[in-house]
Amino acid sequence: MESGVFHSSYQADMGLRPTPLMRIRLIVVLVAAVVFPFFANNYQLTLANQILIASIGAIGLNILTGFTGQISLGQGGFMAIGAYSSALLVINLGVPWWLSVLLACVITAIVGGFFGLPSLRLKGLYLAIATLAAQQIIEWGIIRSPLTGGVEALVVDPPLLFGINLSRDFNFYWLGLILLIGTVLFAVNLFRTKVGRAFIAIRDQDIAAEVMGVNVFRYKLLAFATSSFFVGLSGALLAQYRTIVSFDRFTIETSITYLAIIIIGGLGSVSGSIYGAIFMTLLPAVLTNIGSALENTIPQMAGLIPFVRKAVFGLTIILFLIFEPEGLAKIWRDIKDYFRLWPFSY
Amino acid sequence: MINKFSKQVIMWVALLLTAALLAACGGGGESDTIKVGAIHDLTGATSDVGTPYADGVRDYVKFVNDNGGIEGRQLELLSADYAYAVDQAEQLYSQYTGQGVVAFQGWGTGDTEALRAKIATDEIPFMSASYSAALADPAEAPYNFLVGTTYSDQFIIALQYAKDNGATNVAIFHHDSPFGLSPVDDGRAWADANGMSVVAIPMPGGATDFTAQLTQAQDAGAEYIVIQNVSSPAATLAKDVARLAEGTQIVCLNWCSDELFVSLAGEAAEGVIAASPFAFPSSGADLIENEIRPWAEANGKNVDELGVHYVQGWTTMKAMVDAIRQVAAAGDDITGPNIRAALEGYANYSTGDVTAPITFSGSDHAGSKALQLYQVQGGEWVKISEYISATN
Repeated sequence: MESGVFHSSYQADMGLRPTPLMRIRLIVVLVAAVVFPFFANNYQLTLANQILIASIGAIGLNILTGFTGQISLGQGGFMAIGAYSSALLVINLGVPWWLSVLLACVITAIVGGFFGLPSLRLKGLYLAIATLAAQQIIEWGIIRSPLTGGVEALVVDPPLLFGINLSRDFNFYWLGLILLIGTVLFAVNLFRTKVGRAFIAIRDQDIAAEVMGVNVFRYKLLAFATSSFFVGLSGALLAQYRTIVSFDRFTIETSITYLAIIIIGGLGSVSGSIYGAIFMTLLPAVLTNIGSALENTIPQMAGLIPFVRKAVFGLTIILFLIFEPEGLAKIWRDIKDYFRLWPFSY
Repeated sequence: MINKFSKQVIMWVALLLTAALLAACGGGGESDTIKVGAIHDLTGATSDVGTPYADGVRDYVKFVNDNGGIEGRQLELLSADYAYAVDQAEQLYSQYTGQGVVAFQGWGTGDTEALRAKIATDEIPFMSASYSAALADPAEAPYNFLVGTTYSDQFIIALQYAKDNGATNVAIFHHDSPFGLSPVDDGRAWADANGMSVVAIPMPGGATDFTAQLTQAQDAGAEYIVIQNVSSPAATLAKDVARLAEGTQIVCLNWCSDELFVSLAGEAAEGVIAASPFAFPSSGADLIENEIRPWAEANGKNVDELGVHYVQGWTTMKAMVDAIRQVAAAGDDITGPNIRAALEGYANYSTGDVTAPITFSGSDHAGSKALQLYQVQGGEWVKISEYISATN
């Protein structure tokens, strides 16, 4: 019986998946992810694709907020930059979609870095307001700019890869899955490098980090840029997946939803970002379906159900935060710990 | 550690239930009903007007089924609240299309725009309460159909009315969003061509006072104020106009032309004109008196209380279902393309005087180009004109 995890070499200690059980679990998850689309209908694939896109965006935000401690309310705006850049590059310049997605990430990273400038002087709530301003400025710019088509939505041709239409639910799933895996690999490895450690040092105590020789401003900007890169990716993917970009999707509500995703999933946890994205996408869907089922069985309650559903949604989130403030990632860790020591846990 | 264990068991059970539930949904079984999908805003940002509209849509389905359905087949409405969230609209859309809906009723600008490309690929005729002129062009939006007059035409008709009454300067106060900005450019172009001038003034969300914006309008010499916004900010604006700019005529476009506006603005609503594409319950329109009112009364409802947006929902659903009825009567398969063809065959289709007669064609999906003006007199909306068409 195990009494703990022991490593006999530094290399083993640095491993991302040090124990066999972890490796098996990873393989099971990957196999499930690969098999899933063959058994899923379009509705389930839509949900899965929304989760994939939200996961990438949430990991992006988590790099900034969870790992570097810089709160951002500009998520919706940065996603919009990604989505609009990608769409406009395809429409106006005829750039291939895959290149447009890449360029959109870079553009968003630059814009994110720019709006990260106030973080030199501002912390906490003040920074939150500065990023809120970024959100508003970007929204305003998109509505007013003749470039973005202003009030009309932008229609993008479906992305084709060797003649395969990637905007179809089944096909997009693979694109999203591969990019999510890439994002996850990048993010988990980032925090094993000098840069990632510097991010965490800034989050934990910025003055101490500076004393240790971390160039706080540089790394804060880098965090904004890295984070925005992935946020831009999720925005660009959204544009390519839905083949239409409209402003309504990228409002302040989006920013708040993403903050909720990473708080519920677990701040400073890559896997938590994914759990959070799954939770926040599935919960409304599940509640809507329960609601519809109830409306059919008890029609006299039909008028009330949408409101009950909203209340349950809020209540679930509050309960989560009360009972597990560290998020779903912590709950999953507890479950694993329990079974690792089972049946003799103490 | 019983506690901890039971917590985990609950987690697992919850996860499994979720999986089971999602697996159960979305699978469409064969049945003899004709399925139509719909999304409603009952709890979101526009639920104040979304709720009566949704009631209208759902009640029309009940009305059809009470009267024997379509060629003996029942109409089944798959619908849910989407809280004005675009991603939930997409989820519901893909769920319902998976269950075999042949047509779809949307609601707002956001979901209509977001689904525009998807419905074209899936060939699902789509109607919603978003009357952006861009949706009327079949080259861009082949499966979107507009039952109401477009926002642009509503604004142009308001401008014509102002011109006929000797005004040259008009301010449009609009919601600061694609919805609000939608009519501005077309209206301005019309004004320029007709020797008028238009100043567009955005209404900041959540504002409780429009003094600054009104000053701007007065500086521009606005004799008419057109409002392209929903009822509560419009009512706040109307009160400010009554206080600061007496004598300026207000014209409400579709989304502040309702009973809610009057009850919120109170005295200040007096004399306000509505460019409403849909007839108010007080209008005595055929459809309202002969179909909606009797059915509502038989079901313990009062159409005067349900209001104009209820009539709007009912009529929009009726326009869609009548196309399905035509397809069924012709003995054709009830599919999206066939319904679209039936809709494009509408030539002066009568909505029982709730809207101007509707004509769709292969090159134009803006059903009605005309509307009637209403005015608040003694706290009630009263019809003050016959149908006025937007001229070019």
